[in-house]
Amino acid sequence: MDTFKLLQTLTETAAPSGREQQIAQVITELWEPYVDSLSIDRVGSLIAVKNGRAPAPRPRLLLAAHMDEIGLMVRQVVEHAGNGFLRVTNVGGVDIRQIYAQLVTVHGRKDLHGVMASLPPHMLPDERSDKPFGYEDLVIDLGLSMAEVQANVSVGDFVSFRQPLRKLQGKRVSGKALDNRASVAAVTVCLEYLQGRAHDWDVVAVATVQEETRLLGAYTSAFAQRPSAAVAIDVTFGKGPGANDENAFELGGGPTIDIGPNVHPGMYQALQDAADALEMSVNTATHARYSGTDAFGLQIAREGIPTGLVGIPLRYMHTMVESVDMKDVERTGRLLGELIVRLDAKFIDTITAAMMEADKS
Amino acid sequence: MNELIKKLVEAYGPSGFEDGMRDLIRPEIEAYADEISVDALGNLIAVKKGSGGGLKVMIAAHMDEIGVMVTHITQDGFLRFTNIGGVLPHNLMGSRVQFANGVIGVISSDRLEDRSKIHPLTKFFIDVGASSPDDCPVGVGDAAGFIRPFLAQGKRLTAKAMDDRIGCVVAIETLKRLKTTPHDVYFAFTVQEEVGVRGAMTAANHLDPDVGIALDVTLTGDVPEARPMAISLGQGAAIKVKDSGMIAHAGLVRLMKQRAEAAQISYQLEVLDGGSTDARSMQIANGGTAAGCISIPCRYVHSQSETVDADDVESCIKLLVEILANPINL
Repeated sequence: MDTFKLLQTLTETAAPSGREQQIAQVITELWEPYVDSLSIDRVGSLIAVKNGRAPAPRPRLLLAAHMDEIGLMVRQVVEHAGNGFLRVTNVGGVDIRQIYAQLVTVHGRKDLHGVMASLPPHMLPDERSDKPFGYEDLVIDLGLSMAEVQANVSVGDFVSFRQPLRKLQGKRVSGKALDNRASVAAVTVCLEYLQGRAHDWDVVAVATVQEETRLLGAYTSAFAQRPSAAVAIDVTFGKGPGANDENAFELGGGPTIDIGPNVHPGMYQALQDAADALEMSVNTATHARYSGTDAFGLQIAREGIPTGLVGIPLRYMHTMVESVDMKDVERTGRLLGELIVRLDAKFIDTITAAMMEADKS
Repeated sequence: MNELIKKLVEAYGPSGFEDGMRDLIRPEIEAYADEISVDALGNLIAVKKGSGGGLKVMIAAHMDEIGVMVTHITQDGFLRFTNIGGVLPHNLMGSRVQFANGVIGVISSDRLEDRSKIHPLTKFFIDVGASSPDDCPVGVGDAAGFIRPFLAQGKRLTAKAMDDRIGCVVAIETLKRLKTTPHDVYFAFTVQEEVGVRGAMTAANHLDPDVGIALDVTLTGDVPEARPMAISLGQGAAIKVKDSGMIAHAGLVRLMKQRAEAAQISYQLEVLDGGSTDARSMQIANGGTAAGCISIPCRYVHSQSETVDADDVESCIKLLVEILANPINL
């Protein structure tokens, strides 16, 4: 599988939180050759199951990678001299400083190309010229008359950013929605890795919805699937000029494995062991209280699910030039695959017992 | 219908103290429901059984309202208080509140040095006419609701607690008018919405519906210097697409629009920047629910003069009846 093409297909598909149908279709086609069943659940998450070889009922590992991305939504259609413009609000954690002058697609009656428009610095008063625009200063210009806009767009229509994936130097790529399609790509690599390798556990690969707004797919899929254990895969902060050294990681330095309250120490260790078995370079990441990922929701579903968290270092998060190293994506896929191959019937009992021992010490 | 609205909006029921509301609503729905129950948190749930072949649908309208709770009684008999839900300090001066035992108090504040500023909540107090903690007829932990008579001027209806007693009215009227439905419909009159959509959470976890529809008020953009928003009073039922707590199920939004158009019910699409509803809880319950909301446009939300339009209320009822009377294909 060509990782660039994989990432290109995944990132260039539009899927703001709440409108994931299109990306779900793309992922369905990617995963279909590798899994035994595919379905869409009540809130839109894509659930793919690859059966293990142990006798049923088998333990199941849930892999959660969210497929939604940040975007915008039309909140008002406004007129200026016969032309129609759109005022928007954010869907998820949009960085207001960088949406001016972006290319967008408005998902109206049909997909319409537009630009995020405002006034050039020449036309702004001095005190405004070096400040970022707010939502009240920005409109989408579709190049259409008010009548044409009204015929094609309504309040509540989703808007996605439009940006092709570009190759930087080496194995680096840059584009939109690498948060979190890089992880969806990694799960795809994992499923490919498992072809021809025996594994006892069932693998439930879930492309979750609405992570950017409320971790919706993580909570609901973990409840419905009731896995024995789970791993969330998401991007983490890449090192670069100005980034703090403590919780930012080199692009190309391998995936991160999280330790912190949202993960089970046994899952952390199992992921470390899998990395050791592959002689793969990985880094430990830490979070206090809230990891900001699907792991937060997975962990407390049902009676509690031992959860791990794997990260792919990414620079410029929530911008249209998010950048990752494709080696990290591939490594993350292999790391997950190796974890799965190594899971046995005693795994849950073992990590639970280890917790009890730690308590005694 | 104004009689029912008046009865519900003028009643006492801050979050956590909804007993009286349950007692008011129950007789209104008893003749129309197949079963009525109350769960551990106090949600009142009325079931209308379907004729078969339909889905399990939960309708949520919250009974509770914002209010205040006594935290401390001064030596002079004044009551310091905290908020129950989103109480806005700039709406408080001169308000009257009533406790569960009927005692009425007036709200004022410590002297305002700078009239261009508003005191924080901690600088306000309630005067119930007591002169010391000993002769004070209410105590720490007692909750009070605002009081303000219901006002109907033409189509415009104004009251405190329109949020969300008007949603309760929409639910009650829908239950009354819904002759037959293929769906098993659970009308939940929920508790503790104003303090974190809590009643709907437990009700949805328990009922495990396929579809969840909240009935609640939404803001409007049709008053001077309002935050831009494409919702106006009198322009119809608001079909929620998004608020700051959830994105409605796209299929459910589509279905609501189709039903409104087919039955020629006026509607508007709602994108709300601040606040959320019981739909937020229903959406994430269990394995997930296809959740949405029919909103009643309302000016001055969380004041004591919340104002809605009677035609909008009627549109909301008609829309909900249309949705429930017909098959739901998402």
